[in-house]
Amino acid sequence: MRPLFKEYGIAMAAAAICTAACFGISPFVALTDLAMVYLVGTTVVALRGGWGPSVFSSILGVLCFNFFFVPPRFTFDVEHPQYVVTFLVMFAVAMVISRLTVRVRTQSEEARRLEVSAESERLRSSLLSAVSHELRTPLTAIIGSVGSLLRAPGPGSTHWRELLENIREEAERLTRLVHNLIETTRLESGRVRLKKEPYPIEDVVGMALERLDKSLAGREVRNDLPESLPLAPMDPVLMELVFVNLIDNAVRHASGPFPIEISAREAGGKLEAVVADRGPGLRAEPVDRVFEKFYRETRSAGGAGLGLAICKAVVEAHGGTIRAENRPGGGALFRLTLPC
Amino acid sequence: MSALPNNVLVVDDETAIRRFLRAALEESGFAVLEAFNGRMALELAATKKPGVILLDLGLPDMDGLEVLKRLREWTSAPIIVVSVRSDESDKIEALDRGADDYLTKPFGVEELLARIRVALRHAESAREDAPPVYKHGDLKIDLTSRRVWLGKKEVRLSPLQYSLLAALVRNAGRVVSQKQLLKELWPDTESNPEALRILVHQTRHRIEREPVRPRHLKTEPAVGYRLEAPDD
Repeated sequence: MRPLFKEYGIAMAAAAICTAACFGISPFVALTDLAMVYLVGTTVVALRGGWGPSVFSSILGVLCFNFFFVPPRFTFDVEHPQYVVTFLVMFAVAMVISRLTVRVRTQSEEARRLEVSAESERLRSSLLSAVSHELRTPLTAIIGSVGSLLRAPGPGSTHWRELLENIREEAERLTRLVHNLIETTRLESGRVRLKKEPYPIEDVVGMALERLDKSLAGREVRNDLPESLPLAPMDPVLMELVFVNLIDNAVRHASGPFPIEISAREAGGKLEAVVADRGPGLRAEPVDRVFEKFYRETRSAGGAGLGLAICKAVVEAHGGTIRAENRPGGGALFRLTLPC
Repeated sequence: MSALPNNVLVVDDETAIRRFLRAALEESGFAVLEAFNGRMALELAATKKPGVILLDLGLPDMDGLEVLKRLREWTSAPIIVVSVRSDESDKIEALDRGADDYLTKPFGVEELLARIRVALRHAESAREDAPPVYKHGDLKIDLTSRRVWLGKKEVRLSPLQYSLLAALVRNAGRVVSQKQLLKELWPDTESNPEALRILVHQTRHRIEREPVRPRHLKTEPAVGYRLEAPDD
């Protein structure tokens, strides 16, 4: 109801402005030309509002024109019957303009709606392709490994252990993916209530490292988390997920002998945590695109493009911020802040 | 191990899960009983008197927590609850209702066997006195002299830090919920989880070589803490 009132308000304002303009130019132009000014006002109203406000504006225009300018002025009386024709034509033209303008507007809205649905269609299909690729890869590996195991000569063969490790690792990858999918859906449905309690960030980083123990497999993790850091209010389960995704990201994209670096400090009443690697860095342009859902740096490194999107959603739900940077000297760096 | 009861009741409605549990448990010398719903679980528990019960909380016919409650009305056999990860409140509830420990799906065989061993050992030591010295890797805790060593170096702890460790040593290998610890360490005051977290944090910085990657004192997300089972 309220936006409609606003439209009628605009119609009244337009009539007032047109009247003021007519007072300004009336000494210089023919009386009937003033009707054109009111038509401009009606067009503007029709561009913004719907059919109702346009009709209202047309009537208002005719009444103002009559009252303020048609002799005898400042009455609704009309001296010459010719002006009645002017009124009728003025009203008719205003109606036609309104009708056309409103139609153009609805059509462009319709077009925009189609565009939005095309956009969400595109999102859906990219979700499907990312997810089905991500789901199929580990499933193929698992099924293939099991098949090979069943044909292999026995526990003594060299391939036996490799295949079993394959199965476990791929199943763990599936588990992480499913978890990310579930969390994305939960976060987007808006039904997640954060269970925020003051936690030491070290505890949460520690849980994430523990969870990733196998995929870290001997990778050096260099951490700098001072004992005296203040606690920050956080949902430990969701913040653990943030660090799992950031660290997992570093492990997958930055192979090689360089350590993964995790640090935290207090800065200006906020807790700032950094996860950095010495991998190839981020190719996204601008770099913050990495937080977009389904965005993937490379196909080969895996990931459905959900991990960093979740990080952003969780950190922002905590009232914090997260940024991506390319490091001087190479590598990616993720910096998040939490109020504490 | 031979003196311990060695039959395990597995309660889960998923055939694939029961199959894998049976394989893993029989491989390690346990006899396995299977139940695929709550009613069957209660019946088998009463007639076969299993040494350990593995209870999945999501059952088709009744609430797993209800099964747990009914079991606890008459049996003290260790019950290890199995649940999916997002159900932290269920885990806490299960521990409150007398579950000994829990496993989060998906879990590995090593983890499963470790939990069962700890539960059995704990049930055993409830009848005997627990050994007075806890050793795990480079950490040694002597409950009789109230002294703690990290490698060769003695660690100095505040009385509260020591009480925390002592409480965890008595349950070594098992999860101890935040609520239990609060009741034990601050029996007379309003419970303050934040103080407990700070205490654990400080204690870790005394007994762990790399506090962010603790080897001994682990966090069970949103539930509580666990001191790793002692070395054999």
